[in-house]
Amino acid sequence: MRRPPLRTLGRLAGRQPLGAAGAGIVGVLVLTAVFAPELAPHGAKDAAFSPYLPPSVAFPLGTDHLGRDMLSRVIWGARLSLWVGLVSVLVGVTLGGLWGVVTAYVGGVADSASQRVVDTLMALPPIILALSLMAALGQSVNNVIIALAVLLTPTAARTLRSLVLSIRESPYIEAARAVGCPHWRVIALHVLPNTLATYIVLVTVNISYAIVVEASLSFLGLGAPPDEPSWGAMLTAGTQALEPAPWMFLFPGLAISLTVFGLNLLGDAIRDLTDPRLRGGLG
Amino acid sequence: MRGLLSFCAVAIAAAVALAAGGAAAQDKPRYGGVLNWFDYGDPGRLDVHAESPLVVQQATAGVYSGVIHYDPDDPSKIAPDLAERWTVSPDGKTYTFHLRKGVKWHDGQPFSAADVKASFDRILHPDFKSPKCGAALKPMVASVEVQDPHTVQFRLKFAAAPFLGNLASSWCRVAAKHVLEKYGDLNAPDAQIGTGPFRFKRYERGNLIEWARNKDYFVRGLPYLDGVRQYILVGGPTQLAAAKAGRVMLWDAWPPMKKTQADELARARTDVDIYQASINTIYVLYMNAQKPPFSHPDLRRAVSLALDRQELVAKALEGAGVPCALLDPKLVGDFALPLEEVQKVPGCRQPKDADLAEAKRLVEKHYPGGLEIEVAVRTVGNYVDRAQLVLAQLRRVGIRGTLKSYESAAGYAVFGKGEFTMIAAQDRSMDTPDPESLFSVVYSTNAGSNYGRWADPKVDDLAERALRESSRDKRKQLYWELQRHILASPTAAVPIAWVEGWFFVDKKVRGYKPALTTYDNNTFMKVWLAE
Repeated sequence: MRRPPLRTLGRLAGRQPLGAAGAGIVGVLVLTAVFAPELAPHGAKDAAFSPYLPPSVAFPLGTDHLGRDMLSRVIWGARLSLWVGLVSVLVGVTLGGLWGVVTAYVGGVADSASQRVVDTLMALPPIILALSLMAALGQSVNNVIIALAVLLTPTAARTLRSLVLSIRESPYIEAARAVGCPHWRVIALHVLPNTLATYIVLVTVNISYAIVVEASLSFLGLGAPPDEPSWGAMLTAGTQALEPAPWMFLFPGLAISLTVFGLNLLGDAIRDLTDPRLRGGLG
Repeated sequence: MRGLLSFCAVAIAAAVALAAGGAAAQDKPRYGGVLNWFDYGDPGRLDVHAESPLVVQQATAGVYSGVIHYDPDDPSKIAPDLAERWTVSPDGKTYTFHLRKGVKWHDGQPFSAADVKASFDRILHPDFKSPKCGAALKPMVASVEVQDPHTVQFRLKFAAAPFLGNLASSWCRVAAKHVLEKYGDLNAPDAQIGTGPFRFKRYERGNLIEWARNKDYFVRGLPYLDGVRQYILVGGPTQLAAAKAGRVMLWDAWPPMKKTQADELARARTDVDIYQASINTIYVLYMNAQKPPFSHPDLRRAVSLALDRQELVAKALEGAGVPCALLDPKLVGDFALPLEEVQKVPGCRQPKDADLAEAKRLVEKHYPGGLEIEVAVRTVGNYVDRAQLVLAQLRRVGIRGTLKSYESAAGYAVFGKGEFTMIAAQDRSMDTPDPESLFSVVYSTNAGSNYGRWADPKVDDLAERALRESSRDKRKQLYWELQRHILASPTAAVPIAWVEGWFFVDKKVRGYKPALTTYDNNTFMKVWLAE
């Protein structure tokens, strides 16, 4: 008999209270991002107010050095961060995952050669690689997504390759080959479904990483264009006014910390729930 | 004019001297020590004849000498440098300069009038792009002739009042003929061979420029310093952090500190004198008049009407600036149109409702759904902040911009080639304190910083007539007519404000006097460090 979804969620929350807290934070983040136009009291780029206004009833998070409402910018920043984090991770982990799955399944020289490419990419310090890519591609939100996807691809390829190396030796794969299944069918119907749990964990864990890297790139002036409400760019502006307007630094910093905290808790919980070796797993 | 300039110089100098406690001037100069200074960006190229960024001039300032220069002891006056003295012909069209004897280049070669001719033949050559010295001198100088190894003559096309001021500019430096022949240009660090008080010691890209004392300097006993180190510090927070940590001893050039930064520095250091001053620099927004959409005058007019200069000054400059002015009355006195008149001009007047409505109408007339543009900005000073404000203001009239940022030298390269649609923020410093400088720097067709490639024959005609005019009153009338004409025209260079700000001098630094332009008096020939 199937349990009602709410009861299942309640049971999972009971087994993973920290994960539930993470899911709550992420849920608020997602709702904030989706309903940003309705939630933000002002435009994120409207410099219509006096600069350096401290938090007050009219401006709960104060205004920045150009007279923009910090609350509106933090809310719109959630949309930017989530969009960049989600899309870059989906693209990077999916492409990297497919790369790892296919080369591991094929094996031989192709696998060995592709792993050397992965080694090369992983040998480069991630932030340096991202900075180089942004310098080459130019500043835009789409280019941040591309840079992050490139960053995430080798890790995903390496992780899923390791998994597929064991899967491909499984009896059911042998059996599928023995009855004459073409390789694409074996991969699509028998290998990929068995990598799904790992793929989901990779996605959830890496979203927070992508958000931090995006914020870092913007902090260094090479992320989203300067007028976009990126939390990282807000931090940069905040560092220039630490003494007269500490709220410019505090609130975007809090937003980044809370988001990463929530995503990490959620990612850990999903990993635990999908790992049959851990007690309390779904399996 | 001269009286007003002297007044400005004295006022600045007095502010510094007073802040220093007045005792410094009585101290005996002391030899030794290294002055730590900074450049706002990496110059990349070092050819002072061919470039226009302040960092190029700063990087090479102490290495070269001019025929004449602004007096380090009183920067409002013009003083001999490589020339000992000069005479002017009765018709005012021939200037004869008698050069010092026994001067040596940093590589030991003797200096002569041939070097002066080689330098100015290069600067004045019609095919040579010299955005500073060349742009200032080409309209007035016909030729440079050697009379003997120690005498050189400048023959003018007409008697031009600003000639000496332009020649004294720190961009009109004399380079060695043999160096120009060997290297072809002055870009390489090895080509930095001058006759100035300091030798060019090293250039670490993105990090440091260093000069060392020239023991054979032609003024006996100078310089006092063993050397000057210029740290390349990009970005306001880095510059302020270096200042607070005592890593730099002098902040006298662009970009000025904002009030909040000056307050922060004052809380961190008690061993500095902080002062507020103008740096003879105008903040301009450029549009490219050679390509759509701003090839159409309606769109240029719309941008000018949409920009709220007062808001830009209040927020981006924290109030330290003179909004709207084409010439700043504080700097050029009554050559500037009265501010009351300027502030009634469409685009500048407040409230802005009528101007915004007209701007919106003009944009909708040509782009019914609004206009999307790419807006360029160099990532130096607080340009990115200014650009964000500009974008916010333009959105009010249906112009939606996306920012494209450039590193300093890369930005100049793009602007010079005209590969932009709009430059949201660009300060242009005057080469001399004369009102003529604005037009030779920004507004004439051949102006060194006419990035928007706007050409208006009436501007060129009025600017040249003002150059030729010797009567002060008539010059004033011509400059007023010129300002009224530009303010009413759909210019590609919208004047936003004259920039002011805060600066500091470490109390150990003695003998330094701020100049009337941001470029002059940076050779540090008479600067010394107290114990």
